[in-house]
Amino acid sequence: MRMTDQNPIVRLDDVSFSYAQAGEKDAPRALDHVSLSVGAGEFVGVIGPSGAGKSTLAAALSGAIPHHYRGELYGAVYVDGKDTCDVTLTDISQVVGSVLQDIDAQMVASVVEDELLFGLENFGVPHDQIEARLSGALETVGIADLRDREIATLSGGQKQKVSIAAILAMRPRVLVLDEPTAALDPASSRLVFDTLCTVREQGITVIVIEQKVALLSRYCDRILVMDHGRIVLSGTPRQVFGHARELRELGVDSPRMARVHNSLVEKGLLPPGEPCLTVSEAESLVEGLVRPHLAGGAQAGPVADAQRDAAFRASSPHAAVPRPHAEGAEPVVRVEGVGFAYPGSGAAVEDLNMAVYPGEVVGVVGQNGAGKTTLTKLLNGLLKPAVGQVLVSGLDTRHVPTSRIAAHCATLFQNPDCQLCKNTVLDEVAFGLELQGVDADEARRRAHKVIERFGLPEGESPFSLSRGQRQMVALASVVVVEPDVVLLDEPTSGLDYRECMTVMRTVSEMADAGCAVIMVCHDMEVVSDFAERVVVMADGRILGRGPTAQEFADEPLMRRAYVEAPQVTRLSQALARDLSPEYAGISQVSGIVDLTGELVSRG
Amino acid sequence: MVSVIEYVPGETLLHRLNPVTKLAIAAAIIVATFCAQTYGMLVALLALTFALAAYSHTTSKLVTLLKLLVPIAIVMLLLQCAFVRGGRTVLLWMTTEGLDSAGKACLRLLGVALPLVLMLSVTKLNDLANACVEVLHVPYRYAFTFTTALRFVPVFGQQMNAIMEAQCARGVEYDTKNPIRKLRLMLPLCVPLLVSSVGKTDATALAAEQRGFYLRTRASSFKRYPMHGRDAAVLVACVALVVLGVLL
Repeated sequence: MRMTDQNPIVRLDDVSFSYAQAGEKDAPRALDHVSLSVGAGEFVGVIGPSGAGKSTLAAALSGAIPHHYRGELYGAVYVDGKDTCDVTLTDISQVVGSVLQDIDAQMVASVVEDELLFGLENFGVPHDQIEARLSGALETVGIADLRDREIATLSGGQKQKVSIAAILAMRPRVLVLDEPTAALDPASSRLVFDTLCTVREQGITVIVIEQKVALLSRYCDRILVMDHGRIVLSGTPRQVFGHARELRELGVDSPRMARVHNSLVEKGLLPPGEPCLTVSEAESLVEGLVRPHLAGGAQAGPVADAQRDAAFRASSPHAAVPRPHAEGAEPVVRVEGVGFAYPGSGAAVEDLNMAVYPGEVVGVVGQNGAGKTTLTKLLNGLLKPAVGQVLVSGLDTRHVPTSRIAAHCATLFQNPDCQLCKNTVLDEVAFGLELQGVDADEARRRAHKVIERFGLPEGESPFSLSRGQRQMVALASVVVVEPDVVLLDEPTSGLDYRECMTVMRTVSEMADAGCAVIMVCHDMEVVSDFAERVVVMADGRILGRGPTAQEFADEPLMRRAYVEAPQVTRLSQALARDLSPEYAGISQVSGIVDLTGELVSRG
Repeated sequence: MVSVIEYVPGETLLHRLNPVTKLAIAAAIIVATFCAQTYGMLVALLALTFALAAYSHTTSKLVTLLKLLVPIAIVMLLLQCAFVRGGRTVLLWMTTEGLDSAGKACLRLLGVALPLVLMLSVTKLNDLANACVEVLHVPYRYAFTFTTALRFVPVFGQQMNAIMEAQCARGVEYDTKNPIRKLRLMLPLCVPLLVSSVGKTDATALAAEQRGFYLRTRASSFKRYPMHGRDAAVLVACVALVVLGVLL
């Protein structure tokens, strides 16, 4: 890693930046004395809590600071040896290509081919080379067949690839990406990272800001951890994720397999060292620990399927205990034989059946386009079923207006900005109550209580808050109405680990208080941690539903739905198969670690 | 609205004409519509528009737009009848002169809107911008602004839709039957829409600059847009159409 310092393509020399106008004293610094050098051909991942300065760092690397965003810049940024203050943004962008967070805003054309042509034409690439560059970029990203498509008709993953291809066609030497997978399902996210890997093999330096730690740990050479405008950790994925305690304090997630390793170290079962990152590494690690202690090797070797299933039914004491929901209670949501098709397009859902009881958390999983969002819209009445019926708190959504269902069924949307419309946080949170006819004073009193619990600034405008805080305001206005059912559409996208945990903990508390929670979520770790039942969807149908651990352990089902089970589930499955049936059904890191400790001391 | 301004791929002569020529056709039909004084000519111009649409397989776009325009046209008809009075009373407040001028106004409304949509559905936006820059010597920044604005229409439409759904799901009565109440409820939503659109525009400006927007010249475009013989012929026909409009 030191080697790269001799030949840096990008170098930051003690850089500080604040968005304040000149003259403002003591403005908070988005970047605070950052020094960094990135060598040609490196694959660098940047991670950190929201507000840590990750996007600001990307802006400084791509020349948007100082040329587009105003503020005070100290220190120097060198791109290919030139100070970015001395050259124009246009010059910088011939070396550094940047892919913005909002891909819709990045597009300049309405057809894929024109989108790629734009940069090539502007930078004066000789016209006889343009065709080769264009088709080359499309092939690298794997979308040659989309060349003549309208961008508006593409899926999120396809758009993301177009935006990468448009930058690649210009042959930059550095590629900077700001959260390229935020809106994508796990399969599409992996494809984007595979693409970046191909790009890197062509000698292009890749710097990517990302929240998905498992992806970063698998693809990056180096990971930078940022906090409060500083780079606090830097090293290979193994080096960085070995700092379990520091990362936890910063509010940065670590890959689950690294957590298994770190917890085993904390228990004194392993000497401190670099953690494992993949499921197979973790499996051989645990096997190495436990195998010598298994009595006479009696249980060594593959365990019979019947034995494993028996263990599963008996439910290992280390498997998570489902939240006890009221026995014999009436379901609060009933979906019976529901079908719906969007007019003018092939997208449809068919034959949906489900029942949700008070106090339950149900996860809905499946890849993009499986019909998950359509299901949520059928539940909150935004869409009316064409066949079958949906009953929410006894109300038939076909006959009751959506705005009246809202009193019983509250929705937290993926993008909080669609929900916010008032001038202050207090007005915003009270608004939902007022709509239901609660009188203004009472609404404000209740809103005030919830705002206090969430620690939000009551008098500020919601639009001036950070993305994470806006999501919390939206959540507060859901909590305050005390609904029977809460629908969450991707509650964790765009949030950092700590915010994500706060949201999920609040949701769990609501479930404890008897509210039924249905969440659509791409993050399988979150689903496995918080949902006791899951509904697995693909191609507009429900393929399976049942207890979370059991569904995730059903490999053929996961394959059919293009869902990858969480790492811990895959680990416990592998261990149950090869080591001891007692591992079956464990879905938490702590379960694996406790059982391993027990097996070791038993032996 | 989302699908009205959308390119319909095709290989017809109308598709293959120079974008500037297509613009001229739309302009000619519109000018002729304004000048024409007789019902015969107005209806003929509308028929011409539909004939061109049928030829280029874009009739469905025009029909979609017609569904939006006809209610507006009817409201206009009723109002116009109230303002222009004269001649014999036909029905309630409607008079012969009123009906005559209102009918023409409605036909003109349709005659102006439809050719533009027809033209946009057989031309890619980028081709239109590049051809205007090359042939008409329009500065690229204006052409870019125009095409970006058109491109943002469906984007903002989707945004507005998402906002309405979110508000409806929290209990705002967008599903009310009363259109005036609905309009009053919609006004506060301008704030979130404005906030997000300002952010989007800024991001687009940055993205365009990072891809060499300021280096672009008239010669940059990879595709060329020469005027062919068929373009000249169509342009002559356009002039004839305008003359015909003035005469009839």
